Amino acid sequence: MEEFYLTAIFLFVLFLMLGTGVWVGLALFGVAFVGLELFTTRPAGDAMTTVIWSGTSSWTLTALPLFIWMGEILYRTRLSEDMFRGLAPWMSRLPGGLVHTNIVGCTIFAAVSGSSAATLTTVGKMSIPELRKRGYPERMIIGTLTGAATLGLMIPPSLTLIVYGVTVNESISKLFLAGVFPGLTLALLFMGYVAWWSFTKPEEVPDISEKLTFGQKLWESRFLLPVIVLISVVIGSMYLGIATATEAAAFGVIGSLILAALQSSLSLSTFLDSLIGATRTSAMIMFILAGAAALSLAMGFTGLPRALATWIDTLGLSPFALLMALMVFYIILGCFLDGISSVVLTMAIVEPMIRQAGIDIIWFGIFIVVVVEMAQITPPIGFNLFVMQGMTNHGMGYIAKTALPMFLIMVVMVFILIFFPELVTYLPENMRATPGG
Amino acid sequence: ADKWDMPMGYSGSNFHSVTGAEFAKCVTKGTGGELEIVTHPGGSLFKGNEIKRAVQTGQAQIGERILSAHQNENALFGIDSIPFLATSFEDSVKLWKAAKPEFDKLLDSQNLVLLYSVPWPPQGLYFKKEVNSVADMKGIKFRSYNTATGRLAELTGMLPVQIEAAEISQAFATGVAESMVSSGSTGYDRKVWESLTHFYEVDAWLPRNYVFVNKDSWGGLSDGVKNVINGCASIAEYAGYWRSVQYTEFTIGQLAKNGMTVGKAGDALKGELQEIGKKMTAEWLEKAGPTGKAIVDAFKASQ
Amino acid sequence: MAAIRKLLDGLYLAGGILGALSLVIILILVVLQMVARWSGEVAPGIPEYAGYFMASSAFLAFAYALNKGAHIRVGLLLQALGDKRKWLEIWCFAIGSGLAIYFSYYAIKAVYWSQKLNDISQGQDATPLWIPQLSMAVGAVLLAIAMLDHLVQLIFTGEHGIDSDALESHAE
Ligand code: NA
Ligand code: NA
Repeated sequence: MEEFYLTAIFLFVLFLMLGTGVWVGLALFGVAFVGLELFTTRPAGDAMTTVIWSGTSSWTLTALPLFIWMGEILYRTRLSEDMFRGLAPWMSRLPGGLVHTNIVGCTIFAAVSGSSAATLTTVGKMSIPELRKRGYPERMIIGTLTGAATLGLMIPPSLTLIVYGVTVNESISKLFLAGVFPGLTLALLFMGYVAWWSFTKPEEVPDISEKLTFGQKLWESRFLLPVIVLISVVIGSMYLGIATATEAAAFGVIGSLILAALQSSLSLSTFLDSLIGATRTSAMIMFILAGAAALSLAMGFTGLPRALATWIDTLGLSPFALLMALMVFYIILGCFLDGISSVVLTMAIVEPMIRQAGIDIIWFGIFIVVVVEMAQITPPIGFNLFVMQGMTNHGMGYIAKTALPMFLIMVVMVFILIFFPELVTYLPENMRATPGG
Repeated sequence: ADKWDMPMGYSGSNFHSVTGAEFAKCVTKGTGGELEIVTHPGGSLFKGNEIKRAVQTGQAQIGERILSAHQNENALFGIDSIPFLATSFEDSVKLWKAAKPEFDKLLDSQNLVLLYSVPWPPQGLYFKKEVNSVADMKGIKFRSYNTATGRLAELTGMLPVQIEAAEISQAFATGVAESMVSSGSTGYDRKVWESLTHFYEVDAWLPRNYVFVNKDSWGGLSDGVKNVINGCASIAEYAGYWRSVQYTEFTIGQLAKNGMTVGKAGDALKGELQEIGKKMTAEWLEKAGPTGKAIVDAFKASQ
Repeated sequence: MAAIRKLLDGLYLAGGILGALSLVIILILVVLQMVARWSGEVAPGIPEYAGYFMASSAFLAFAYALNKGAHIRVGLLLQALGDKRKWLEIWCFAIGSGLAIYFSYYAIKAVYWSQKLNDISQGQDATPLWIPQLSMAVGAVLLAIAMLDHLVQLIFTGEHGIDSDALESHAE
């Protein structure tokens, strides 16, 4: 029962600090402090400082501020407007109109970046102002974006899948392939929701459709060209072996600087604005990540995630019931932890459970991405909520409310994965990476 | 009852982590629960890089790390990773025996007590093509991860590219790197047959992991508990050694089974590599001073 | 008074500028890493250096981000309190000051111990770790100063003085 008290104390301190308005990063740090002081004999301050240093001074993290910077540059140039001009003729005829650009934009950018925070800031910087200008309801703009940004972790490259693959010794290339169809399916589900909204609340959908012929549409699409080139360069650099997934972000920044210069929207002041804006946003995210590193350490010392996972193990559940239990488990864990920490802290217990139950370990990687991503859009600790709050100044409760439909869609996605596992397994089983290259 | 947390760098299913978990169980059982050791594999408590420092400063009481990771601070830590010095399990044990008294002293000066050490399987060379001589290696993009592997690339005419462990599979899949020196087990764990084709068992060296305790935590134990820990440590060292031997055969078999060309290096290549080994041993001795020389001499005498 | 105000705001801004500079250096390092590989040159240790600047881009900009209202908090209760929010704000900044001072102490201690233990990077850069860790200590101290600064302002003027200039601030 010690776990029960632990959970209660963690939750109480967390809600007290977050609820009274203490900054999220500091609240996480504070909860970690209380946990370490109460439940270990180890020196809390020293240990927290150690993990905060190793958590922030990391090469793989560098892609995050670089992609955020790329978003800031695009937002300050004509590129974002152009992207809209190019996409609009195609999206405007879909039921729900331009809201779809949020989802399509996230899907495309997910293929460029490995994190949902970078996906959210880059796409959001471009689409939010444009969608607002055209009179779409705020609720739809915010909700679809917060939800669709989770695609950043499902569609390759993906930081969570890399960490999962290394932890369970599975092929990262296979995991990446496995994420493609589920990612696209989830994107379609999100778009289906937008369509459903437009049928049930037609009065909310602004009328922006101009009747264009197919030829005119194609002609309008020329505005998409720069963004397509930019994204192709970033993706291409990764798959041609010119850059690693981390380095590709540098292509994004330099590419967007060049595009901005070509459009003569790059001045010294836009450059500096984009730089300081990116610094501020990434400092905000790093502040939370630092707190999360400390909390993850406290969780490791108290052994809470492991104890809970072990408890689930003792229940002797059927595979389906086990997956349901794990879904709930990771959503609860997501109240305290970011997705990667959730994976790292629990896999030692969960991996044998999964293998024993005869569940495909690649499939489970995709399952776990969906599930920890669901936790990222639910309060109190939901990373996408924080990033969205930083970008729009909306309250977290409001953002979580707008994202609730996306959360429910992801629950549906979990069942789709369970009943149609081929969605995950088809590509990795049928597309063997060619050796030699 | 006391509880010790034991951070470990490699994932839970790795044989070092399994050995550590059994060591922990042995201590917990052997002391009748007076001292419980809880392992935290996969860098889940402290990342590999931080483990030694964490134990030195008492942030954790006990931990495990790969020995050569610390060779920047003292060349002695690189003794297990000198190419072509100790190239078999037997030699690895002899080298460790020769070095152990010095490590006891060195670690003692760093507020640590050495418990046990288990070797990794021997290091071989992975390529994307057939390689019969050092000349064949020229210009190949070689994954280096420390000063010694960087130097190895330099001496063989390969291009050292620095790839983080998490990016290995990706780097090979996309051709950012085309070769590496590592054990059969790394190749098996990372499933490198998806991108690489040849594995040469050159048995360049056998890296070691070592397990150490914070000296103050150690000092706070009763003699009875210390005896149990020492007993469990020698069992772990023995069991870990045999796991490593078995795992070597298993993983190399798996590499072949998954379509890689696996075999010993040809005599020409072997001879050239041995020359490089001599050069690197000499360079290491220069850095490690008289202590290093004494160890290598004692090792050679015991061979 | 005005001179102190100017000095403090200058400090936070300087931290922000150094953070931004770190971001530019990260970009340069990543590009160097690629160029070195393409051209077959050896440039050891770049991933480690990029990691150090990743840390400094964050830590040095923490205070600046706070001053610009960029750090996230749950504003529900604060908004509900309306004019009476001063006391809750004092509570937040007091906790913030406490935790930031606590972290500063340990960040400085970490630098001290890295130096004393001769803790050296395990990568090919072999950097003595206390040098890059200075950015953590400096950033933590800056944050603590900023927290205390705003706490004092709150107590004496009733306003914390954070200019929330988020570009797209939007009413709910
Ligand atoms: Na992605
Ligand atoms: Na959550």
